Amino acid sequence: MSDDPGVVLHALSPRGCLNLRGDLREAGFRNATATATGVELPLEPRTWRFAGDTAVYWLGPDEWLIVVPAGREADLERGLRDTLAGSFSIVDTSGANCFLNLSGPAVGRVLQKSSPYDFHPRNFPAGRCVQTVFAKASALVAGQADGSFDLVVRRSYADYVRLWIEDAAEEYGLARR
Amino acid sequence: MLRIYCPYCQEVRSEEEFSYAGEAHIRRPEDPGALSDTEWGEYLHFRTNARGPHREMWVHAAGCRRYFNVLRDTVSYEILEVYPMGTPPPDDTSGDRA
Repeated sequence: MSDDPGVVLHALSPRGCLNLRGDLREAGFRNATATATGVELPLEPRTWRFAGDTAVYWLGPDEWLIVVPAGREADLERGLRDTLAGSFSIVDTSGANCFLNLSGPAVGRVLQKSSPYDFHPRNFPAGRCVQTVFAKASALVAGQADGSFDLVVRRSYADYVRLWIEDAAEEYGLARR
Repeated sequence: MLRIYCPYCQEVRSEEEFSYAGEAHIRRPEDPGALSDTEWGEYLHFRTNARGPHREMWVHAAGCRRYFNVLRDTVSYEILEVYPMGTPPPDDTSGDRA
């Protein structure tokens, strides 16, 4: 194995997650979420936005994943419930998600092995996010400004996905962080 | 392997991400209790089984998890049309049940 790893796998620390569902046609839903989270809801499919340490991912036309540093989700949930009116749903999914970051010159190769989705930068630049099949499990993959990829995987699949990545990345040289 | 356009993700995606969810536009009877066994059996079990264009539901299971309707040719597997749930079937010549 060479000294320069082709792929760097970084297991990120747990974070606070809220799954938000609501109807964009309802007056005030967009503004109220932006006020409570400090991030404009991404309305364009397959995009995510962040401000400070809060990130919001598009999951569907009426569904978003809000990610904050661990421990802040309860306050944010209270804030959202105080601000939002009408019908909406907020579920704390912090315990359900694990966060990984993949980087390195061969990261594209590992993603190609793992998923049918086209993660080439021309199709998937920074600011994009997509839920797709990943190593026969599923993952939310988000393109970062530094060219790396954040993966949000189900807690119960996290070990399997990590082992899969370790195996898939071995031939390019893998460094773990 | 089919490549299917998801009307919510607004992108063509691999069949692996989707699940088939049966024939589309089958209305649940308003008052099931009023039906004869034959009528209820027809509703539960009998499907068009079209040879040619077929209206069916798919769910983007590994993606946005939304259901939508597809008009697919069961002979050539060509997807002729994709449209969201809740919209009536667009006019066509397939002769399927509405």
